[in-house]
Amino acid sequence: MVDILSVYGSMLLQAMGQSLVMAFFGLIFACIVGLIFGILSVMHNRVCRAIATAFVYAIRGVPMIVLAFFVFFGVPYFANNVLGSNLTLTALQAGIICLALNCGAYMAEIIRAGIQSVDKGQMEAARSLGLPYWRAMQRVILPQAIRTMIPSIINQFIITLKDTSILSVIGFPELVNSAKNVIANTFNSFAVWAIVAVMYIIVITALSVAAKRVERRLSRGRD
Amino acid sequence: MAATNGNIKIHISHLKKFFGELEVLNDISMDVYEGEVVVIIGPSGSGKSTLLRCINKLEEVTDGQIIVDGHDITDKKVNINKVRENIGMVFQHFNLFNNLNVLGNLMLAPVDLKKATKEQAREQALLMLQKVGLSDKAEAYPAQLSGCQKQRVAIARALCMNPDIMLFDEPTSALDPEMVGEVLQVMKQLAADGMTMVIVTHEMGFAREVADRVIFMDGGYIVEEGPPQKLFLNPKEPRTINFLNKVL
Repeated sequence: MVDILSVYGSMLLQAMGQSLVMAFFGLIFACIVGLIFGILSVMHNRVCRAIATAFVYAIRGVPMIVLAFFVFFGVPYFANNVLGSNLTLTALQAGIICLALNCGAYMAEIIRAGIQSVDKGQMEAARSLGLPYWRAMQRVILPQAIRTMIPSIINQFIITLKDTSILSVIGFPELVNSAKNVIANTFNSFAVWAIVAVMYIIVITALSVAAKRVERRLSRGRD
Repeated sequence: MAATNGNIKIHISHLKKFFGELEVLNDISMDVYEGEVVVIIGPSGSGKSTLLRCINKLEEVTDGQIIVDGHDITDKKVNINKVRENIGMVFQHFNLFNNLNVLGNLMLAPVDLKKATKEQAREQALLMLQKVGLSDKAEAYPAQLSGCQKQRVAIARALCMNPDIMLFDEPTSALDPEMVGEVLQVMKQLAADGMTMVIVTHEMGFAREVADRVIFMDGGYIVEEGPPQKLFLNPKEPRTINFLNKVL
């Protein structure tokens, strides 16, 4: 194990970095996607709610690996052969889109639940003072909703970070893909997978601890 | 008792409100004059809260017309947010913004709607807090206040928009009995200052003391109305008599 670490350690670290890059951008876009569909799902307009529901059900109903193949192979094929455009996606781009869609759908549900958990009277009070709907949302509802959402969001972030491993199937050189290469060279699958597992545990634990701190700071002195 | 000068502030004509199939308000017509204090009483489910919530369009009106300060709020083209700026509302469950402290609650709307600069809003907020006797709670969060303090902050918050009309939806119903007096005291002061007020309440003693006019509602209708002495001491309708016998 020590010799594997000394030879391939920096390579595996770099691969972990690639995983984190993909997760980071995936999460940022997932937040945007989640916020858009989450807010659509609490609006009065029935069409808006239907769009949000359809999106969530569609994404939730498709396994991540199928989504990855669909985005990486299917979409460019359709664009090039049917629409006649010239679209190529890198594995990183496709991976980020997959994470944004997948995590975004779950985030939409978290955000919807968070907004609905805020007492109806808060919106009524804000509106009764003359605040428009969106200002009331921004200044009163969302700040309270976000605080109840934080534990679920952290949980979802961790799941998304782990889901990057599924995206090894489209050939992005993240941790799992690189580990396979190392095994091809060393034949020691026990040591390599153990190292990879520990690397994930360290990163995810560090993120969880940091997130807990943020959570505690946000809820200080209130409620 | 405040004097009225004959200007109509709220004009309601043939108002109907359905919740699905259920008719909650049935052909309600009434006027509220400037400086008048109107108290609406009646059994639960009689539609009094719904009527109040129609006046600032928290409830969508099914049919009929409501004109507040010359603005027809049942007209879709009228900007309801502008009209609401002049109508303060106090709720049974206070509805203070839990994410903001007391000053934040009071300053949010005036600053956000550009009615005042931050400094002006702060100054006014402190003045209003003084008026409701809570100057020492400016930095507290709603969760740290008692029910009675919350309700007084809620009144101060509404007053910070300098409204012409104040609506009170059972403002003391969620309070401990010994706390009710302090909130009523603030409301009495407001009435004495000449504020136009529409109050839904179960506090009959308060109604008798402060109201210019009392309206008794039952089953979505206005059954009887009149000055408190007349309505409380000499009611005409059997339903009014029956209700007052139970509560007085």
